Amino acid sequence: MRLAKAGRINVEIFTLLMFIVFLFPFVLVFINSAKTAFEVTQYPLALPSHWSNIFKNIASIWTSPNIRYPASLLSSLLITVLSLVFINLLSSQAAWVLVRTKSRTSTAIFFIFVAAMVIPFQIVMLPLLSWLRAITDFTGIRLLRTYAGMILAYIGFGVSLSIFMFHGFIKSIPLELEEAATIDGCSRFQIFYKIIFPILTPIHVTVLILNGIWIWNDYLLPLLVLGKGNAIQTLPLAVSNFAGAFVKQWDLILTAILMAMIPVVLFFLLAQKYIVKGMVAGSIK
Amino acid sequence: MAKVLIKDVTKIYEGNVTAVNKVNIVVEDKEFVVFVGPSGCGKSTTLRMIAGLEEISGGEVIIDDVVVNDIPPKDRNIAMVFQNYALYPHMTVYENMAFGLKIRKFSKTEIEQRVREAARILDIESYLNRKPKALSGGQRQRVALGRAIVRNPKVFLFDEPLSNLDAKLRVQMRAEIIELHNRLQATMIYVTHDQVEAMTMGDKIVVMKDGLIQQIGSPLHLYNNPANRFVAGFIGSPPMNFINLQVTKGPKGIVLDEGSFQLVPAPEHAKYLESYAGKSLTMGIRPEDLHYAEQATAPRIKAKVSVVEPLGAEIHLWARTQNNQFISRVGPQHILRIGQEVSFEPVMEQARYFDMETELSIIPVGQVEAK
Repeated sequence: MRLAKAGRINVEIFTLLMFIVFLFPFVLVFINSAKTAFEVTQYPLALPSHWSNIFKNIASIWTSPNIRYPASLLSSLLITVLSLVFINLLSSQAAWVLVRTKSRTSTAIFFIFVAAMVIPFQIVMLPLLSWLRAITDFTGIRLLRTYAGMILAYIGFGVSLSIFMFHGFIKSIPLELEEAATIDGCSRFQIFYKIIFPILTPIHVTVLILNGIWIWNDYLLPLLVLGKGNAIQTLPLAVSNFAGAFVKQWDLILTAILMAMIPVVLFFLLAQKYIVKGMVAGSIK
Repeated sequence: MAKVLIKDVTKIYEGNVTAVNKVNIVVEDKEFVVFVGPSGCGKSTTLRMIAGLEEISGGEVIIDDVVVNDIPPKDRNIAMVFQNYALYPHMTVYENMAFGLKIRKFSKTEIEQRVREAARILDIESYLNRKPKALSGGQRQRVALGRAIVRNPKVFLFDEPLSNLDAKLRVQMRAEIIELHNRLQATMIYVTHDQVEAMTMGDKIVVMKDGLIQQIGSPLHLYNNPANRFVAGFIGSPPMNFINLQVTKGPKGIVLDEGSFQLVPAPEHAKYLESYAGKSLTMGIRPEDLHYAEQATAPRIKAKVSVVEPLGAEIHLWARTQNNQFISRVGPQHILRIGQEVSFEPVMEQARYFDMETELSIIPVGQVEAK
């Protein structure tokens, strides 16, 4: 009994330590957002002298022509939301077809998707640019420095993990459900959208979160596809404008990061229930 | 309602695996037909071909004089109840039952009326707003039945619907389905591997094995006149006893010799056994026809008790001779112990005889009894 209790206390202490470690960067960002540039470099760990500085910093970011915060926020939102919608729609449908079509080809396609997950992004980033250029040359549709190219790239990089996750979950849905729907009079399209799609809710949310956080925070891919000094820029690209070759405006960088973090944190808190469900659903169903 | 004709229906899967081989079945209007057989016998595949969930490799399925081979399931006017209920987990009981009607664009009032009526029949009115996960197995199966009823289909198909329920609930649901059949007067086709379900529910039973029909008939016809050794052993619980015997023709007629005992067949059977003189055959005798005999009369089987299974109303007594093991139903008043020497008196008029090679009944089983 005593041992068990001691063990529990140890676990709790460990959890608390981990909590502090993980929370530390957030606290740093938060307290330094309320400081002047001088204060940030002089006393990075101290509490701000005037908390009201935070509003001053937010206001100067919102109005700064250097970062164009409202436009960047809108671009980030547009790219993230559209990419997520397409990733979820396409990968859930693809996974459903791959699970329900029992052939060597479907297994091979599935393994190609799984294999794509282990290829580091840095290996494919330059060929990606050539491809986007080649597609533009061939079709006349501009993909570099456009929303279309950016979203297409995210769909490409996002679907493998998403298909993998949907695939695992769909396998646990009994085929009889679809057969019952067939007898009830559903078409193949209706079977998917009226029966399978709603059952996939927990996995949809998990896929949204995983891809959402990555796409929202991503810097390298927008830098390659959208480039610097483009009218379209995502928040991470915009924030990097505060970091020049010689001067880094840490007060504004950190405030901008704080402002960029808020939508993701809000989304995470709202969808928390589904994330946990989605994480465990595949294993127990 | 409808008549279902299954004509030379064959199902061949990839790799030339024949699951169903030229099956012919007639399901009359308002009839309750049970397909029964061990796992892999092709009963579910046949049902799924009727439903349209499985393509037909050969032959025809005809519902109400219309060949439905190429008609999609939704247009066959059938409803199906699955083994694992197949209720839509994200919908309430009401939505589950209404779904098929909604897809078919029935009016809201019509849907409401049909769902309420089905819910009343099945006594699930109080669960209409619950999700399937908040229901017990029996309640879920009732909802699955309700989903079939609301559609008012020509044919009801049941694919082992009671297999997931516990023994007590199974007996209760069995009675409810029979009651439902009487009430709806619908054509129903029911698949099960449980011969007790088949015997108690069916107007007609189709016994299948390895994709072939072994025998079709009323439950009692199959019980009393099995066409072959498989049907004899499959129908009835505890199963029929089989004894291999040598047939000899003596001055007093045909004698069946087991080695440790001899039996004389009933006079009405003897004429069929004459051609087997000098050969062996298998005799089948049901446990209730193998009487435990305290007083000595002829003919007798002497054996040693190997297992005693007291069931309350009766005892299932397993006993061994040198070459065979038998089971007999014995009255509960007998106190028997393992190893005890006992005698049995077979009712030879009830014995059945099977060819050892073909396993077919040596005595003609007669025509399939009408409903």
